[in-house]
Amino acid sequence: MLKRELKITRKSLFIWLFVLISIFTLVFAMYPYIMNETSGVSMDELLSMFPEEFLKAFNMDIADISTALGWLKTEGITFLLLIYGLYASILGSNIILKEESDKTIEFLYSKPISRNKILSTKIMAGIINIIVLVLLNTIFINIGLLICNCYNFKEINLLCLVPLLPTLVIFFISLCISTFFKKTKQTIGISIALVFINYFIYTFASISSKIENLKYITVYTLADIRNVINKINFNIINVPISIILITILIFISYKKYNKKEFV
Amino acid sequence: MLRIENLTKYYGNVKGVENLSIELNDGEIFGFIGPNGAGKSTTIKCIMNFINKTSGNIYINDILVEDKNFEYKNLIGYLPSEIHLYDDYTVLEMFKYSSLFYSNKALKRALELSKRLELETNKKIEDLSLGNLKKVGIVLALMHEPKLLILDEPTSGLDPIIQEEFFNILKEEKKKGTTIFSSSHVLSEIKKVCDRVGIIKEGHLIKVDTISNFNKNNYLNIHVESKDIEKISKELNINIINNNFIYQGDINILINKLSKYKIDKLLINEPETEELFIDYYKEEVC
Repeated sequence: MLKRELKITRKSLFIWLFVLISIFTLVFAMYPYIMNETSGVSMDELLSMFPEEFLKAFNMDIADISTALGWLKTEGITFLLLIYGLYASILGSNIILKEESDKTIEFLYSKPISRNKILSTKIMAGIINIIVLVLLNTIFINIGLLICNCYNFKEINLLCLVPLLPTLVIFFISLCISTFFKKTKQTIGISIALVFINYFIYTFASISSKIENLKYITVYTLADIRNVINKINFNIINVPISIILITILIFISYKKYNKKEFV
Repeated sequence: MLRIENLTKYYGNVKGVENLSIELNDGEIFGFIGPNGAGKSTTIKCIMNFINKTSGNIYINDILVEDKNFEYKNLIGYLPSEIHLYDDYTVLEMFKYSSLFYSNKALKRALELSKRLELETNKKIEDLSLGNLKKVGIVLALMHEPKLLILDEPTSGLDPIIQEEFFNILKEEKKKGTTIFSSSHVLSEIKKVCDRVGIIKEGHLIKVDTISNFNKNNYLNIHVESKDIEKISKELNINIINNNFIYQGDINILINKLSKYKIDKLLINEPETEELFIDYYKEEVC
């Protein structure tokens, strides 16, 4: 059953991976030329033209954007957080609900198998997909930055891997939401909106100290990006917080799925 | 093999079935007939545990139907009225996938049945006609040699020759001791293969009898209109739905009992065997 789940989610995984790799390939190939084009104006002068809030929103206040690694810390990480988030939200919305939307659940659940087993297999497939996406993309970014001669193993891998925590939490939020609905089209919109809302809250909380406390209600805080960029360090407390959140979401999902009416 | 005790299912305030009880003996073919929305599919979905019962219990081979006892599903072969399978698979891949849930013999039997039903196994599920999809459903239901077959409108979409072959397969299954619960609205099907028939109307099982009794007993279709309809129902100990009921017995006794009440209208029909079923499941037009 896991094999089938991995097979049917493989195509979408590769499409998302292709999108990510294409973006990063383009950037790594073009970045040195873009930087040379602006050689008449210093980077500091260029950045001083932008408001402080804008710089903070893309971490440009703490990172040097004149290198490809700098791009990864600023716009690149925004791409990563959003694209991983969107992938996880769509995957989480679809992975159990597609079977119900397509009514193939009648076939599957007529087999000697429990609801817990169905849900566990689908969760396992979802986690594997997310980890494969993040790992393959991380390997690609490592290679890209190595070629660009701006390689720092710890910094790059921390940056690439910390988005895994909010991505997994988003996957489980979407999965949990989907147990309350019968059709995928009802949930995908909600899950995608949730990704953007979380990201905007995270961005606003980063740029203004007045609303800084909002960071406690967005999953993107779990990535601890500014700390990774500033100190090449990660606040390990985010791991148990993520595990607790995921455990609660899994608990609700199992409870709800076991009482769900399939047709 | 299958025992349903006081099954009730409400969808919010809407009744699906109410207080439905049936017991099927080993090796019996039970026909379950009724109009659309009568509660046939609701009953089957409860047997398959797709939906939650409001109350009542279902036992298969004395195992209570609930998710934690999921191994009872080894005993069941299920054929839904509409077949939904994995479009990306071929028929053979579908059989292989399904066989993973059962013993090694299942795939071999699936291939044998495919041959009998003239099914091309190299075709993709998404390319199959409705009739061929139904054949795949039949093979999937039978491949693991279940002890209980749950069939929901099994012959819809099958051409007459394949229908005949399907009935032959059902008779063979019966000989092997397989119990079959089949919902249908096609009377000739019921007469061909079923031992007993249950008639369901508006969520109530209004009659269960053997096919031979249906043929030989003197059933009467009664339509009665009276302000005392509830008292009449109690007096006769019969469930009167929309002023209609089926009466079996001495007509004089019935008239004697009805004469105690003020009757506005009384219609008595003696239905033919075929019409008997139709009268049971004819929707009342108010």
